[in-house]
Amino acid sequence: MSLSFEQVGFQYRGTSIGVHDVSLSLASGELVALIGPSGSGKTTLLRLTAGLISGHSGRIVLGGRDLSNMPVHERHIGMMFQHYALFPHLTVLDNVGYGLKMAGVEAGARRKKAQEMLDLVGLGSLAGRRPAQLSGGQQQRVALARALAYSPQALLLDEPLSALDASIRGQLRDQIRQLQQQFGATTLLVTHDQEEALAMADRIALLDQGRVLQYGTPTELYENPLNETVARFVGLSTICTATVCGEGEIDTGYARLRCDTGARAPGEQVKLLARPEHVEADPPMQALNRMEGRVTLNRYLGSFNRYDFMPHGAQLPWLGEARSAPADAIAVAPEHIRLLAA
Amino acid sequence: MMQRFGAWPALSFIGLFFVLPLLALVPEAVSENGAAFARMLADPLFWPALTNSVLLGLSAGVLSTLVGVAVAWQLAQASPFWRDKLMALLGLPLAFSGMVIAYGFILAFGRAGFVTQILGYFGADTAEIGGWVYTVGGLTFAYAYYLIPRVALTLYPVFANLDLRPIEAARTLGATPRRAFLDVVVPEVGPSVLGSCAVVSALAMGTYGTALALVGTQVNILPLLLYAKIGDGGADFPVTSALSIILLALCSLVLGLGDHFSQRREHATFE
Repeated sequence: MSLSFEQVGFQYRGTSIGVHDVSLSLASGELVALIGPSGSGKTTLLRLTAGLISGHSGRIVLGGRDLSNMPVHERHIGMMFQHYALFPHLTVLDNVGYGLKMAGVEAGARRKKAQEMLDLVGLGSLAGRRPAQLSGGQQQRVALARALAYSPQALLLDEPLSALDASIRGQLRDQIRQLQQQFGATTLLVTHDQEEALAMADRIALLDQGRVLQYGTPTELYENPLNETVARFVGLSTICTATVCGEGEIDTGYARLRCDTGARAPGEQVKLLARPEHVEADPPMQALNRMEGRVTLNRYLGSFNRYDFMPHGAQLPWLGEARSAPADAIAVAPEHIRLLAA
Repeated sequence: MMQRFGAWPALSFIGLFFVLPLLALVPEAVSENGAAFARMLADPLFWPALTNSVLLGLSAGVLSTLVGVAVAWQLAQASPFWRDKLMALLGLPLAFSGMVIAYGFILAFGRAGFVTQILGYFGADTAEIGGWVYTVGGLTFAYAYYLIPRVALTLYPVFANLDLRPIEAARTLGATPRRAFLDVVVPEVGPSVLGSCAVVSALAMGTYGTALALVGTQVNILPLLLYAKIGDGGADFPVTSALSIILLALCSLVLGLGDHFSQRREHATFE
């Protein structure tokens, strides 16, 4: 079932907070992550889709139906909440069967389907328990089973992993993705964790101050961010100001670096972007864009080190990743330096 | 250690001023091999008193709970500023003497009360309205006056801590607003509301100060019957004790029911 937002606008009363002129489209079965800083409008967009807030301009269309004036209970969506929102007085089985009950499915078939869903999320043996007897991760798996049990036309995930421990988060992330694909559920995922978005999503919409800054695949957002805000939000990077000093050359104030300057004229101010995995540690003397300096901070992360490297004369360090931190020099190949508007 | 030691003063206080006097009732009540109970049951005043007490307890309990729930809901929604003000206001009736409340009721709704007079001016029968205050119905309202704050203050935290997210979950899963309320809110707060209703019903059945001040012994309820027997010159101590035990049992039964509901809630939530 495809889902599209057509020039959707919404403002919380008495504020300028909300979403402005948002247009997005999700193909059937696609998982799109909405990311952005707090107050960027990602949760607002999700709640508008669910109908939990109303009064927006523009249209939200799900499978050809305009949801705009449709009450929540007729929208046929499944939703996962940050804090599970299970029904505390019902058993796990009855929680999962609730949507089917509302759809008028008779008790026997309902129980069978709910049990199947619980087996699918690996909690078949806990069907008779109450939510309070489960761990956070288990509760969220019940919530996932509940949201999918009645085959909703769209799945809305509101920061489903942010209340969980890091160890469980990765596991559940994979499980959600797997089941979402298995059910072919068109899915909107709100998250503040860009790694989660990169790992799970088919496409990512980055929102800032209620507007979509960039909408594309994880690779596009990571490798070709449209501006500094996107670059800073998606992935780690070194971003610093520089001046174009000639064709294919920029000046950072402490080093002249070769890179693709495109049609930019000499003297133009730009922002330089380099991802840490493209920073080479201790390059050969003849390497292009070689900078000498020293490591100011090193973080040992098991399979690699992430370090801050301060070139001589620089004010801001470069962020690099390598099996071992450099002794006294780094280099970045020209093709790995991207220039953004200053 | 501190905790165990700390419990002793409280326990001895309860033993001395609660358990001991209650135990003293038992030998008195059974002193004539139960004849006191037979005499009590044969008393033409006993059954009407029991019926009236149960009626008064239930009507005052239900009325206070209905209004108290609405007030508690408002408290939970109010801004901290208004909540503080409202809670201070609600505390007042709890602190007032039953005498003051009764006198106020007489001044307002009695035969010469100003509300009665105003209603009379508009053609109502003042004798009927003025007389009504001195009935079980009138007592119900007088009791509700100080039971409502009790319900409201007990239930306010329940409503304030009510998790609204499961309601949203129910709505997205296809429940109408009414259905979501019945499926999510009622099971969550219902036991507490019923428990609170039981507590105030038991209070209304057992209390007598306001009733005495308002109606003297005109309305036949168990506590006033007991009061009349104690005050009676030729007191029949065994019957008085038997009556005390019946009143105590009635209140305990209602409280027990309330406790049962509260426990069901805990089981439902933390089982």
